[in-house]
Amino acid sequence: MGKYWQVIKNSWSESTAYRLNFILWRVRRVVNLLLVYFLWHAVTAGKNTLFGYNESQILTYVLLSNVVTSFILATKTLDIGDEINSGNLTNYLLKPINYFSLWWAKDAADKALNVFFSILEVVLLIFFLKPQFILQTNVLFLLFFTLSMGLGMILYFYLSVLLGFIGFYSPEVWAPRFVFFVISQFFIGSLFPLDILPKWLYLSLQALPFPYLLFFPLKIYLGQLNVQEISIGIAISLVWIIILKETAVRVWNKGLLDYSAQGR
Amino acid sequence: MKRFFLLWLKYTLNSFSSAIYSRFGAGLFLFAKLLRFLLFFLFLFILQKSTKVLIDYTANQVIFFYLVFNLIDTLTQLLFREVYRFRQKVVRGDFDLDLVQPINPLFKALAGGADLLDLFMLIPSIFLLFYFGAQLTFASFSLFVFLLLFINGLVIATSFHILVLALGVLTTEVDHAIMIYRDLTNVGRVPIDIFLLLLFRLE
Repeated sequence: MGKYWQVIKNSWSESTAYRLNFILWRVRRVVNLLLVYFLWHAVTAGKNTLFGYNESQILTYVLLSNVVTSFILATKTLDIGDEINSGNLTNYLLKPINYFSLWWAKDAADKALNVFFSILEVVLLIFFLKPQFILQTNVLFLLFFTLSMGLGMILYFYLSVLLGFIGFYSPEVWAPRFVFFVISQFFIGSLFPLDILPKWLYLSLQALPFPYLLFFPLKIYLGQLNVQEISIGIAISLVWIIILKETAVRVWNKGLLDYSAQGR
Repeated sequence: MKRFFLLWLKYTLNSFSSAIYSRFGAGLFLFAKLLRFLLFFLFLFILQKSTKVLIDYTANQVIFFYLVFNLIDTLTQLLFREVYRFRQKVVRGDFDLDLVQPINPLFKALAGGADLLDLFMLIPSIFLLFYFGAQLTFASFSLFVFLLLFINGLVIATSFHILVLALGVLTTEVDHAIMIYRDLTNVGRVPIDIFLLLLFRLE
């Protein structure tokens, strides 16, 4: 455990070493957040409900999405593909560490830093913009919200790791990730709540992992799902986690057999 | 001027050869860009159909806004793709190699790697722009002003890319700075006076 704690500390130092880089990344997040916030503010202002959301619900959705994405989507695993292709993976194979645990530790540092700043940003935005932010007080919803965030984080970790493992078979690791990024940008619900989509599309998406990375936790927080719907969502998340974890472990084991440390 | 054009042509062909080295990757990038274009179309369609926020605009006008945004965005990405690679050059010290060559380093950093893959995106964009533009009625003076403002948009985009390069030399920070520009320009995907309406409401 000690060695992974050291990895967390090193990753934290690494992230804070390029301070301007990190600050501009957070500026990007705030700019994006403000754009979506003002778009939805303009769309919902003066209306009782739109797409089943009132103004405070939609603005809470947008603001809270900043914190949830920082927790679920902040990851360092984007580098895995390049490490395999450059042969740097060998450095880890020679050490007594579990490769998956190593990336969990790196992610922990990244998430901690991003969540800290995202909470700070949202508090400041609430202070300056004074939206009607909904503070969920129902303990059951808060527990389910926390659980769904944890599941979303695990789900995204294995999805991202699998995309990185493409490096075992192809030098082209960024193109598939870009496709994934474009699809997920729309279908996790960061630009708009997914239930504004045509019903057939919305229902089809429920079977995919994307809604469980942002939309599902936020719907729980807003109290818009009943216990049965939450249970189904959690069950689908769990199934995806099992499938993706098993696939990731298999691809890793198989990939190591093909790995030739090319580039070293 | 001719020398710069010949240089640009050489750089562009080299960059294109490198981009299509992996046809699979190039195909995926194109697919993703097309998908992003279509998905935002879907979002605009839903917004236009279900809300009153774009009530002052017809569906064709909303699409025209998006297509104009898309054209300027794609054109700048096509021409200035090299800016996205600048950080690596500075961090690794490869920029030093550009500085010792008898070529304007700003020209090379800015336009030395045009991305012809974006040309494939440009073709349907221009086609759609003409198709939807033809269905709108313009006064000839409006068309003239539109063309002027279109060029103005390109000049602003060029200036911002130069600013990012300057920031890159001073601080090695390029990637997020250029993406902040991209994020901000994304506002233009919808008619921006919907945000002005909000300002009036907030007053």
